[in-house]
Amino acid sequence: MSKPLRIALTKGRLEKDTVGLLEKAGFDCSAVRDKGRKLILPIQNANMEVVLAKANDVITYVEHGVCDMGVVGKDTIIEMSGKFFELVDLGFGRCKFALAVKKGTDFYAGYGVKTIATKYPNVARTFFESKGMDVDIVKIEGSVELAPLLELSNGIVDIVETGTTLKENGLEVIEDIVPISARLIVNTVSLKLRQKEIEDLIKTIEENL
Amino acid sequence: MKKYDLITPEGTKDLLFDECIIRQAAEEKIHRIFKSRGYSELLTPDIEFYDVFNHRSEYFPQERLLKLTDNKGRLLVLRPDNTIPIARIVATRLKDSRLPLRLYYNQSVFNNEPSLKGRSTQTLQTGIELIGSSSKMAELEVISAAIEVLRTNMADSFSLEIGDSRFFKELVNKLDTSDDNKELIREYIEAKNYPALNDILDTIGKNEVTHALKRLPRLFGGEEVFEKASRLFSDSSLDSILAELKELYNQVSQLMGEGALTVDLGMVNRTDYYTGVIIKGYLEGYGSEVLSGGRYDKLINDFGYDVPAIGFAVNVDAVTKIEMKHGAGTERNVDAVVFAEKGFEMQGIKKAEELRKNGQTVETSLFDTIEETREYCHENGISKIITVDEKEAE
Repeated sequence: MSKPLRIALTKGRLEKDTVGLLEKAGFDCSAVRDKGRKLILPIQNANMEVVLAKANDVITYVEHGVCDMGVVGKDTIIEMSGKFFELVDLGFGRCKFALAVKKGTDFYAGYGVKTIATKYPNVARTFFESKGMDVDIVKIEGSVELAPLLELSNGIVDIVETGTTLKENGLEVIEDIVPISARLIVNTVSLKLRQKEIEDLIKTIEENL
Repeated sequence: MKKYDLITPEGTKDLLFDECIIRQAAEEKIHRIFKSRGYSELLTPDIEFYDVFNHRSEYFPQERLLKLTDNKGRLLVLRPDNTIPIARIVATRLKDSRLPLRLYYNQSVFNNEPSLKGRSTQTLQTGIELIGSSSKMAELEVISAAIEVLRTNMADSFSLEIGDSRFFKELVNKLDTSDDNKELIREYIEAKNYPALNDILDTIGKNEVTHALKRLPRLFGGEEVFEKASRLFSDSSLDSILAELKELYNQVSQLMGEGALTVDLGMVNRTDYYTGVIIKGYLEGYGSEVLSGGRYDKLINDFGYDVPAIGFAVNVDAVTKIEMKHGAGTERNVDAVVFAEKGFEMQGIKKAEELRKNGQTVETSLFDTIEETREYCHENGISKIITVDEKEAE
């Protein structure tokens, strides 16, 4: 039998949704549900195995071809970019990138260069570049909402799901940047060398979306 | 100030011993193929004027180039590509040569890669360029060389993929939309990003062309692709491109042997100076293509000489990696060590030279005593020690 098809899943919520999807499609994910501390887990009733990784690493593993496929959020894909095939919008993990500011402030007023706090500097840079606007971008690792409250920045670029956190901190979305959802990505060589297996799997997945 | 005097820049590495031997063996294997087909080597400088690569900025975005300046302040780059400097030579020093020209090269390309991604800034490429023929035979010649190269290494399996850059260009030019949108469509097809491709094409409209473009990235695989493609959209120019590619596919499939041949009509590269057939080669065990090339009939004209050409480049570093994985053998073969007693150094040197003339690999011992020499030979698996002393010297 050939090497198992290796799929990298983004740990956390996307992992749960993907496992649900795979189970609905008839794959036995008991090893993934009952994983303990293991990171590479077999799918018992198919020639497949699942690797659990952080979002950025899913892209890295797929790009290098050590994993054939991966499930990762569009947010990570935009921020990281890279060379792989992005085949399916899985539809779950929906949210959006948005620009938010302190409620009631006019972000675009005045000619001073604005400061933007974000966890996603590439997304923020591309967004403002497309507007032809110079901004200072500050990378923040934790709660980005703090930055405008502490007056470090004029606004933030961040993932917005329900907007509750923003609202509770007196911030509001003034512009949507791009919608986000989970994507199925495939290594460029794997798709060519294992076309039949991968296409069959994708078909099964699409039928169960 | 921090000194960076003990490490190499990111994306570069030192190669030691086995790595050099295996890489050299891989190069030699490939060069034997090129030479046996009548290709001649040429070397171009590692640094070139920026202008050489700047005819069309879309080929080489400036952030990917490694730049420096000369003593007049002019911008130089470390060559990011091997075909362009060869196009420059063909259009200048080789302009009056009789065609066709069969050229090969073996030199590094340099590309600024995003950091911490495990990609290389410097990559050794070897490849051929066949200049001056737009014939079908030229395509078969270059593709058969590519197959020979893919077959000659140790990977478990190889596959070759062919496509035609004109197919997408013809199709997208039927769309009434901006160049920016066309570039986006190209990007999405290249990434086989079906969701985004569908979105953008839906905003442009629903017609035969957008429907065909939506299907384009899925048009890869075996012979069945041609039938699917012809059902998708039909006009005289696309039909003739497809017919040519199908003929090529059938011919090339006779050359493949144990390798797999596929076709991908959704191959639309970014640095696209290709004007016709494009090829990519894959080896089992490496996560991206190890060989890529195609026909580039307009490129040399950027340098003022209108001549057709076709070629491909092989990523030697990738091939080396695969050979190492498969345990390509290397042995440090030293046949003997010459140990000279104190005062007999010159005799020792001469003795070693004499043995080397007979084809042996001989080291001279740098130790003071025979015991240390024995220990060294034992550790390094060298079975023969020749002592040069009073007796031997006579």
